[in-house]
Amino acid sequence: MTSMKILIVDDSITIRRIITNALKTVGFPDTMEASNGKDALEKLTNANVDFIITDWNMPEMNGLDFIKQVRANPIYSALPILMITTRGTEHDVIEALQAKVNSYIVKPFTPQELKEKIEGILKTVQINTV
Amino acid sequence: MNQQELDGILQKAAELKVFCEYGERTVPVLDEIASFVREISPAIEDLRAVVEVSMVNIPKAADQLGRVTQATEQASTDILNTLDRMVATLDEVITSVASGMISSDLGAATKKMAAIVKSLVDKSGWDEDIVKLAEAWDIHLQSMRMSGPTSNLERLLKDLQSDCTEIMMALQVQDITQQHIGAVMGTIQAVAEGLQQLTTGFFSTSSAEALPPTPSMPVQFEQENVGEAERKKMVEALLSKARAGQI
Repeated sequence: MTSMKILIVDDSITIRRIITNALKTVGFPDTMEASNGKDALEKLTNANVDFIITDWNMPEMNGLDFIKQVRANPIYSALPILMITTRGTEHDVIEALQAKVNSYIVKPFTPQELKEKIEGILKTVQINTV
Repeated sequence: MNQQELDGILQKAAELKVFCEYGERTVPVLDEIASFVREISPAIEDLRAVVEVSMVNIPKAADQLGRVTQATEQASTDILNTLDRMVATLDEVITSVASGMISSDLGAATKKMAAIVKSLVDKSGWDEDIVKLAEAWDIHLQSMRMSGPTSNLERLLKDLQSDCTEIMMALQVQDITQQHIGAVMGTIQAVAEGLQQLTTGFFSTSSAEALPPTPSMPVQFEQENVGEAERKKMVEALLSKARAGQI
């Protein structure tokens, strides 16, 4: 169980709930939600977020634009970001990686897969900061 | 008539000859074109009727797909609500099962024994044999919990909780289908726009103006229709490349 606060950004309430529950089962109970990139940027300024999980296709501001905005801000530029999306083409993954996403999951996913991805990112981030 | 004027007449005669020859060749072509137009006229009328029906049906189809999305989203929310309640209830049951024994008599007796053993340890001033007895009692209690009906029940309840999580995760299909429906609606919208342009440019009727707008949906077509496992493998390969600084 970890106290890390995770921001879940997805326009689908179903997916937000699924991710929240999956995170709870793998030991990450502290979560908050945003329905699109714009909403998430606002939430970022008002809370101490340690990790971001974001979808790609969203209204108002999509996940890719959101990531670019986060990375452009020196305060959040090092924040770990995991993208969970239905977009699974090679071109999509490369585009996300070029936007500096830390890791990528194509839906559907399992709680175990989510846990492994988060732990993998945290491990890499720790290595890079040491 | 001088030579120059004669040359001029001969030139014009040559041009007339070419024109006549050209006419001989073009007239049948023009006849064929006219015949073709006469033949395709009914087909164009048919096409126009199809386009007009499509103009009405496409928005209807888009609306129906939108309703499917709404219905599945509502169903998913209802299922999630029920699962949340089930998981919470199972949590409570697991806690109470883990903290107590099934048989209240056995539970009371065990608690009494545990109190006696603790008291013995305290009273004995941590006598080595008494401490060994307490340790043996602990092991006995643990093995009772592990092998007894309580542990079986606890395991079954945890399995049920795990099943609930699995059902919850399976509801991702709602979002996935919603996104695919969105892509289909985007295609329908593109077809509708194409038909609208066709009617505006070709039929020049008022039906083009009468086209109701199709609902706007995010268009994201998956270009590669590969299986889930292959896609995940591809993602992992790209992530490895990115880690190696190759992307």
